[in-house]
Amino acid sequence: MKKLIILFLIGVKGMTAFAQENPEHLMPGGDTKPYALVAGGSKGIGYGIAEALAKRGYNLILIARHLDTLQKAKRILESSYPVHVEILTYDLSFQESAGEIADWCIKRNIPLKVLCNVAGFGGSRDYLSLSLDSLRYMVRLNVESCMALSLTLLPLLEKNAPSYILNVASMAGFAPIPIKNLYSATKSAVVFFSYSLAYQLQEKNISVSCLCPGPVFTKPEIVKDTKEKLGWFGMKMALSPAKVGEVAVKKTFERKMIIVPGTLAKISSVVIRILPRRWVVNLYGRAGDKSRNK
Amino acid sequence: MNWALIAGGSRGIGYHIAEALAGRKYNIALVARDGKDLLTAKHAIEKAFPVQVEISSCDLSLPDAAAQIAGWCREKAFNLKVLCNAAGRGGSKDYLSLPVAGLRNMVRLNIESAVELTLILLPLLEENAPAYVLNVGSIAGFAPIPTKNIYSASKAALLFFSYSLRYQLRDRKISVSCLCPGPVFTKPSIEAETLKQLGWLGRQMAVDPAQVGETAVRNMLKGKMLIVPGMLSTGISCILRLLPAGLLARIFYQSGKQ
Repeated sequence: MKKLIILFLIGVKGMTAFAQENPEHLMPGGDTKPYALVAGGSKGIGYGIAEALAKRGYNLILIARHLDTLQKAKRILESSYPVHVEILTYDLSFQESAGEIADWCIKRNIPLKVLCNVAGFGGSRDYLSLSLDSLRYMVRLNVESCMALSLTLLPLLEKNAPSYILNVASMAGFAPIPIKNLYSATKSAVVFFSYSLAYQLQEKNISVSCLCPGPVFTKPEIVKDTKEKLGWFGMKMALSPAKVGEVAVKKTFERKMIIVPGTLAKISSVVIRILPRRWVVNLYGRAGDKSRNK
Repeated sequence: MNWALIAGGSRGIGYHIAEALAGRKYNIALVARDGKDLLTAKHAIEKAFPVQVEISSCDLSLPDAAAQIAGWCREKAFNLKVLCNAAGRGGSKDYLSLPVAGLRNMVRLNIESAVELTLILLPLLEENAPAYVLNVGSIAGFAPIPTKNIYSASKAALLFFSYSLRYQLRDRKISVSCLCPGPVFTKPSIEAETLKQLGWLGRQMAVDPAQVGETAVRNMLKGKMLIVPGMLSTGISCILRLLPAGLLARIFYQSGKQ
């Protein structure tokens, strides 16, 4: 009896080991399509990017906090495009997430060609009225998770080179916006990180892009916020998440470094970067004050 | 008497800022990780200046650090007029060879600790207004430097934070400044690395740590936003701010490769 149990245990162990060595078992039908991982891909810009990638025949790994939105995204994408969508629930602000996600991918030997760091936290509440926990969450999600995930997935991207990293920053990363103090600061870190990483990975044949959109109407609050702060100009500049995702993916594959979708946003971003920072801060600051007084 | 709190004030630029403040008759509250360094700093400052120095040993990269320091300030009833965020981590190990834990530590120390400590001590500073916040950034915050990837990115974030905070606090009589020095030889390893990367120019740009502290405090008390010590560094920082970030990243990458 004892021997039987031991034999059974060895058998189970052998089978799990076999499953790990042969990742095709986990993938349907020996699929050889390349994979793209979208961190924060269940909603908003992330979903727009995921859809643009599915359209180009990429299998997807979507990561987000909530299972229900992930399942919904998977259902819609798999029914519209001939791709396979894997979903993983992780809070990317957690310390362990980047390592665990990379382990999951490496164990399955995922042919990863694209990494998109989209997860981010912002909002109209500025620094002064935020709690310490929210400050920390914002820094960890917007800055740390993007840097950590790029680092842990680098070996896999290198193996599948030529490959692509797309970091989602914001136009707020070009100049400080007082009313969005910490958001703007974290996005500037993402812009800087992307520039540096692009050069660091140049010789490894991994291209790095940074998406810096103006207002994108992903949520009703953002529509309201944009209207109040930027008025007519903001409404003209705003784009839909689907359009932003499409432009982002197209330009990423063209190996463009800074991606600003929309003509008006593009012009504004150039102006913002040319003007002295003090001026821009004051301009943004006044626009913010105006919206608060309303 | 008025108090100044310096986070990361036991050594390096932070220590010299503390000295410059002590020379202007501020009592000094020092926060740093290493208890022995803190004691050495306390003795040195108290010996040289007629001020009181309080010390608290605390790892600023830990999540409860800010709350702990705020509690300490309340307990000691400091009349806090100056907050200086000088704790930071850099080093020659760039992103690619840095373990994930090291990367997180750098982001937490360079960005998180400064934004948290400032927010939690704001009521105390407001009580004692006019008050001053001095964040220690770097000239690396003006342009992306590929060989110092995360360091440069975190200092850019700190610079943005300083600009925005200054605007947010303009009606509360709290002035915000950001110190953005070029190379400062606070450790032999920094000297060696600077000379290797920038050569002759690095040697010329380097400013003595005591002078950096003095310049920082003088300009902070004048209410200046950007503080770049040294003529050559000031000139170079102007050029860095004029040129496009992409071009600068390329130049720094090429110079770092040699």
